[in-house]
Amino acid sequence: MLTYIARRLLTLIPMVIVISFLIYLGLELTPGDAVSHMIPPDAYGSMDPDRLQELRESLGLGKPFAVRYWIWISGVVQGDFGYSLAGGVPIADIFLDRLPATLELSFAALLISTILGSILGTISALTRGSATDQGLTVVGMLGVSIPEFFFGLVAILVFAINLDWLPVGGRTLPGYDSFWDRLPNLVMPALVLSIMMTAGVMRYARSSMLDALSRDFIRTARSKGMPEWRVNILHGFRVALTPVIVLIGFRLPVLIGGSVIIEQVFQWPGIGKEFVSAVRSQDYPLVMMVALFSVLAVLIASLIVDLLTAIIDPRVRLGE
Amino acid sequence: MVDAPITRPRTRRDGQFDRLRDRETSMQGKAKRRGRFLGKFLSNRLALVGFVIFTIICLMSLFAPLIAQHNPMSPNLRAIAQPPSVEHWFGTDKTGRDIFARVLYGGRVSILVGLGSALLSALIGVIIGVYSGYVGGWLDWIAMRVSEIFMSFPQIILVLLLVAILGQSLLNLIVIFTLTGWGGIYRMARARMLSIREEEYVQALRSFGLGPARIAYKHMLPNALGPIMVNITLSTAAFILQEAGLSFLGLGVPLSIPTWGNILNAAQDLRVLEQNWWIWLPVGATISLFVLSVNFIGDGLRDATDPSQQG
Repeated sequence: MLTYIARRLLTLIPMVIVISFLIYLGLELTPGDAVSHMIPPDAYGSMDPDRLQELRESLGLGKPFAVRYWIWISGVVQGDFGYSLAGGVPIADIFLDRLPATLELSFAALLISTILGSILGTISALTRGSATDQGLTVVGMLGVSIPEFFFGLVAILVFAINLDWLPVGGRTLPGYDSFWDRLPNLVMPALVLSIMMTAGVMRYARSSMLDALSRDFIRTARSKGMPEWRVNILHGFRVALTPVIVLIGFRLPVLIGGSVIIEQVFQWPGIGKEFVSAVRSQDYPLVMMVALFSVLAVLIASLIVDLLTAIIDPRVRLGE
Repeated sequence: MVDAPITRPRTRRDGQFDRLRDRETSMQGKAKRRGRFLGKFLSNRLALVGFVIFTIICLMSLFAPLIAQHNPMSPNLRAIAQPPSVEHWFGTDKTGRDIFARVLYGGRVSILVGLGSALLSALIGVIIGVYSGYVGGWLDWIAMRVSEIFMSFPQIILVLLLVAILGQSLLNLIVIFTLTGWGGIYRMARARMLSIREEEYVQALRSFGLGPARIAYKHMLPNALGPIMVNITLSTAAFILQEAGLSFLGLGVPLSIPTWGNILNAAQDLRVLEQNWWIWLPVGATISLFVLSVNFIGDGLRDATDPSQQG
């Protein structure tokens, strides 16, 4: 097991280094540099070129690319993420400020889609071929076909504007800070964000359950005279659930992707919304850091999934 | 092939074998297989419905100049934000542009982006995947690492990162989608090649002295076409959804070009959302219907080409 972990880490670390290098290279390719971002465009033309050069030297921009990359990455490792171009706020502060909102939304959506998806998938598998199964399949298809933000818009129109049950958007009102105060704000974005994932989990749970139900131990349990519901729940569902849980780790990119747009629709003050406005205002340092951290999140999630599968299934860690 | 001359008297069996061989050489087997594929696809009701909807929307977008009576780009200040009427079927937007015409013309761009990116990324993925999957070696190693790098980004983050670097334009968007999308189809084509690499017909071809490129593209690729086609349809759907999402954020195709996402962009304004439902609801429904039909087609193709997915 230890050698397996070591082997996985050995492939992970070079990957992170290469990706961080590529992201830094991407920043290098963008128009302008730190100096041209610091000085207003209309003043830039009238500045003395020697002074600009001096400024560049003092900021270390004259150094070769590889050296600058080294300075940047060692700063990042030590927790110095640089500064946002908009207002010069430290990026670490932005992360600390916005991350809780994004995590709250993502975990809510993850929870809803896992529970709902595996229950619906199981029902669909147990009633295979019936009208319920076909209906659920079509509903699942609708779930992956309708754009999430369109769901969001319709939900806002119906539940916030027409029925006035839930707030239109935002996360908290000033003065109301507890989780229960902002629960009404969380309901719609979390439900909308979970739709696409629920459909995915449902599909997966259905085939996984069908697979489990065709195994020998199910037949044995039935032949012992066990009631049908006990066979399904105790033996089928439990076995079918393991791969579904593994699937959730792979769903992380979908979740991050969805939250970028959903946060915009519901004005949810998370990382995704910050990322979109950074791309809009060409705030490259911030764009870069968010990209780097989302890659880290995905890689670490897939590492955890791999380790979990290795623990469950010894063939994974021994074979290759 | 020339048979060895028969020295014994011909029997009834010989006649049967000759007939069998004639039937095979006259390609009847192949025609029959295609018939089964078509039959299975057509008997799948959802796939058929999907195909009909897909065709209708594509044709309407293609013949947009003949169907739409208004210019999708020209504002009409005397008809601002009007609800649907006989004159403007889907109403008009905030600058008085006819929304029905914009949906039709927008479909052209959106479908172009979706289908074009899917086909381009399939082309790249298949060319690399089929060859490197069969030959292996350093090319395979490099392509695998590169695709791993691309796939460790959440797709939308990578797309937005590239938009920030390359800038916003229609062509850039197709390039970006292709760059972010080839990895999936490459891996699928590669895996498929690995699984048929050791089959007997491949070994036979190798022993005949055929070159690797010829074996890979001419003889093995046709056996991997089923899953590739499924993948192309599914990624078309995904790209259309992504274009809509990006343009909705105002970061996809430049706003001056009508696309489905760009029309929906107006709904970011809460007042439009509340008071002018016709500006965003029909477009959203059109995107959903189109993506749904593509997904139905993809599912139908999967069922028709993959013998392991019965029922």
